[in-house]
Amino acid sequence: MMSSSRSSLAFWLRLVLVAFIFAALEIYGRFYADPAFMSPPSGIFRAFVERILPEPKIIEALFLCVLQIAAAYGLSILFGTLTGLLVGATSFSRSAFFPIVLLLFAIPQVSLLPLVILFFGLGPAAKIAFGFSHGVFPIIMNVVAGMRDVKELHLRAARSMGASRSETIRHVILPHAVPSLFTGLRLGMTMTLLGVILAELYVSTGGVGYYTRLFAENYNPAPLFALIGCLAVIAILFNELVRLAEKRLTPGLRRSAALTNLVKE
Amino acid sequence: MDRSNFATRSIQISFLAVLAGAWWLATETGSISRLFLPQPRAVYAAAERLVQTAAFWSAVSVTLMTIAKAFLIAMIAGIIVGYLVTRTRLATQVIEPIISGLFTIPITLFFPMFILFFGIGTGSKVAYGATYAFFPIALNTIAAFSNMDERYLRAARSMGAGRWQTFRHILLPGALPVLMTGMRIGFFICFASVLGGETISSVAGVGRNIAHAAELMESARMYAWIVFVICTSVTLNLIVYAFENRIRNR
Amino acid sequence: MSESAISIRNVSQRYGDAGAPDSVLALDDISLEVRKGEFVCLLGPSGCGKSTLLNVIGGLFKPTSGMCHVAGRLVDGSPHPDKIAFVFQESTLFPWYSIIENFRIALKFQGIPQSEWDDRAMQALKAVGMSSFASHYPDQLSVGMRQRVNMARGICVETDILLMDEPFAALDEQTRMVLGEDLSQLLAATGKTIVFVTHSLAEAVFLSDRIVVMSARPGKIKTIIDVNEAHPRSPDFMLEPRFSELRNECYALLRDEIRSTMAAQRDPQSAGA
Repeated sequence: MMSSSRSSLAFWLRLVLVAFIFAALEIYGRFYADPAFMSPPSGIFRAFVERILPEPKIIEALFLCVLQIAAAYGLSILFGTLTGLLVGATSFSRSAFFPIVLLLFAIPQVSLLPLVILFFGLGPAAKIAFGFSHGVFPIIMNVVAGMRDVKELHLRAARSMGASRSETIRHVILPHAVPSLFTGLRLGMTMTLLGVILAELYVSTGGVGYYTRLFAENYNPAPLFALIGCLAVIAILFNELVRLAEKRLTPGLRRSAALTNLVKE
Repeated sequence: MDRSNFATRSIQISFLAVLAGAWWLATETGSISRLFLPQPRAVYAAAERLVQTAAFWSAVSVTLMTIAKAFLIAMIAGIIVGYLVTRTRLATQVIEPIISGLFTIPITLFFPMFILFFGIGTGSKVAYGATYAFFPIALNTIAAFSNMDERYLRAARSMGAGRWQTFRHILLPGALPVLMTGMRIGFFICFASVLGGETISSVAGVGRNIAHAAELMESARMYAWIVFVICTSVTLNLIVYAFENRIRNR
Repeated sequence: MSESAISIRNVSQRYGDAGAPDSVLALDDISLEVRKGEFVCLLGPSGCGKSTLLNVIGGLFKPTSGMCHVAGRLVDGSPHPDKIAFVFQESTLFPWYSIIENFRIALKFQGIPQSEWDDRAMQALKAVGMSSFASHYPDQLSVGMRQRVNMARGICVETDILLMDEPFAALDEQTRMVLGEDLSQLLAATGKTIVFVTHSLAEAVFLSDRIVVMSARPGKIKTIIDVNEAHPRSPDFMLEPRFSELRNECYALLRDEIRSTMAAQRDPQSAGA
C-alpha cells in the first residue's frame, strides 16, 4: 500500500514536472526567443492546425510514413523471429551463426544509407528496407538470447518426465523465450522507427524529409516543430501498440524494463 | 580446437568467403550493374587513391573530433544527471520514466531542429550526437546507482565508513560494470548518430563524403568509404569488448 | 564476568507512524543486559524483531524510544566501529574487492593505520585457515569459505563486541556445525562479547551462554534460558541429553509463536493488527 501511494505520487509529480517544462518553453518562446529559431508550444499547435492539417500533401506524406513503418516492422517480426528460432534452435547452430549476426549488427548501418537509396530508389521501398534492416537485429538477438537462457534445471525436469527433443523445444524453450521475444519486439520497434526516419530525412526531394528541410531552410520553426511533433506522436503510438500487445499476450510475466541494452544481458 | 569448434569456425569463414565470392562473381559476369556494385579491385583501387588524399584525412579528423566532443559532453552530462537523480528514491521514480520514455522515440526526429539551432556545420552534429548518447549513459548511470544492494551499504556503515569512503569504495565500484555498459552503448550510438547526421545534412566529415560520392554516382569511392567505416567500427567494437572483459575479470 | 557490556533499557521500535494502518511495532519495551565475554543468542520466529534489536545495538537503527549503552557509551543511531563489529550473511563481502582488499577496506573504514592492515588481515585469515586465499575474489570461493572469511573480517577489526546477524543462514547443516565449533573456540580464545541472531534451535543451544527467546509482533522477550556449558564446546555436547532437553524446551516455547505467525501469513485478515 505504501509503495502504490508512493508511485502515484511519483506519477503526479512527473506530470507537474512535464507541465512545468512546457510552461517554461511557452514563456521563453513567447517573450525571449528569436522567432526564426523558436516557437512557443501554443504557436506550434496553431501551426499544426493552420499549416499541417489543411495541407493534403503533408498528411499524405505522414500517412505514407506510417505505412512504411508498419511494413518494415512486419517484415522485421517475420524475418527476425524465424531467423532467431533457427539460429537459437541448437547450441551448434547458435555458436555457428550467432557470431555472424553479431558481426552484421556491428556494422554502422547509417553508413549504408546512401547505398540503400541507390539500390531501392527514392520511394517507399528504400525506407522500408532501411527500417527493416534496423528492426530485424534486436528481434533476432533477443529470440536467441531467450532460448539460450533457459534454465538447465527446467531442461532436466522435462527430460526426466520423458519429453522428446521437439516437445522440449515446444513446451520449455519457446515459452521461456517469449518475454525476451517481446523485449526484442519493443527494441525492434524503436530501431525500425529510427531506420525509417533516417531514410525519410535523407531523401529530401519528397515525403516528410522534403517538408522538414523546407521549413528549416526558411527559418519557419512553428510548422517544423509541429511536423516533428506529429512524427513523435506516431512513434509514441507505435511504441504503445507494442507495449499493449506485450501486456495482453504475456500475462503475469515480468517484463524486463531495460530499454537501454539491445540484448538482455 | 575440438571438432564442433572447428565446424562452427568453418561455417563462419565460408559465410564470409561466399559473400566475397558472390560479390566477385556478380561483378565479373556483369549480372549486376557496376554502378550499383563495383568490382572488388575497383573498390581497392579507389581506397588506395583515397587514403593518399589530404581530403580523406581531413574528413576523418573532422568526424573523429565531432564524435570525441559529443561523447565527452554526453558522458559528463549523463553521469552527473544520472547520479544526482538517484540521490533520492522519489527523484528516481519521477525522472527515470521521462528519460527512458523519451529514449524510445528516435531522437533523429529532432535532427532538423539541431540544424536550425546550430547550423549545418559540425556544431549541430556535436549537439545531436551528444543528445543521443546522453540517454543510454544517463539511464545506465541511474540503474547502476539505484540498484545498489542495501546490505553492502549497511555493512560499510557498520564498519564506520564516511560519506566519501562509501562513495569511493562501495557505490562506485559496485556501479562500475553497469556504468561501463552505458558508456559503451553511448559511444556507439554517438558514433552512428554523428555519421548519420553528417550523411543527412552537413558540409564535411566521413558521412558527408559517403553521401557526396553517392550523389555523384562514384560507387567505387563510396564503397571504399563504407569499407573504411565498417572496418573502423568492427575494430572499435573488438577493442571496447576486450577492454570491458579485462575490467570485469581483472 | 559480571561487568555489563551491553545494556538495553526499555527499547521500542516502531515502523511507520503510530496509529497509521500500516504501522508495525517491531520491538515492545525490551530490556536486556549482556555481560562482558558472554555469548547471547536472539532466537525467535521470523519477523519477531531480533534483527531489528541487533541493528539498534549496533547503532544502525535509532530506536523509537528507550536507550542502549555499549561499554558505557550511549548508542543512538550511529555506529561505533571501534567498539562493535558486524558480521552479516556471507554475501556482504564486497564482490569488487579481493579477500585481502575486503579486509583492508574494513580496517580503513574503521580508521586503523595502514601499516597494520596486512598483518591483521593475514592473522585473522590464518585463524580461520583461509590465508592461502587472500588474493582470490569472493566469487571464486564456496559459500562456506566465504562465510569463514566474512567471520574473519569481523574478527580482524579487534572490537570487544561482535554482532552476528544470521551469519550461517545460507550454509548447509554440516558447514554450519563446523563454523559453529570454530566460533566457540574463538570465543574462548578472545573473550569477545557476541550477540548472535538465529532461527536455528540447535545453533542457539550449541553456541550460547544464554538464549533470549522472543515472541513475534510485537517483539518481546518471552524468556531467557541459561546454557551452563563452558567454551570451547565440542560436538560431543550435541550428543548429551541436556542438549536435546534444552532444544526441546526452546521448541516448545517457540511452537505456538511460529504457528501464530504462519497463520497470520496465510490469512492476514484473521490475525488482526
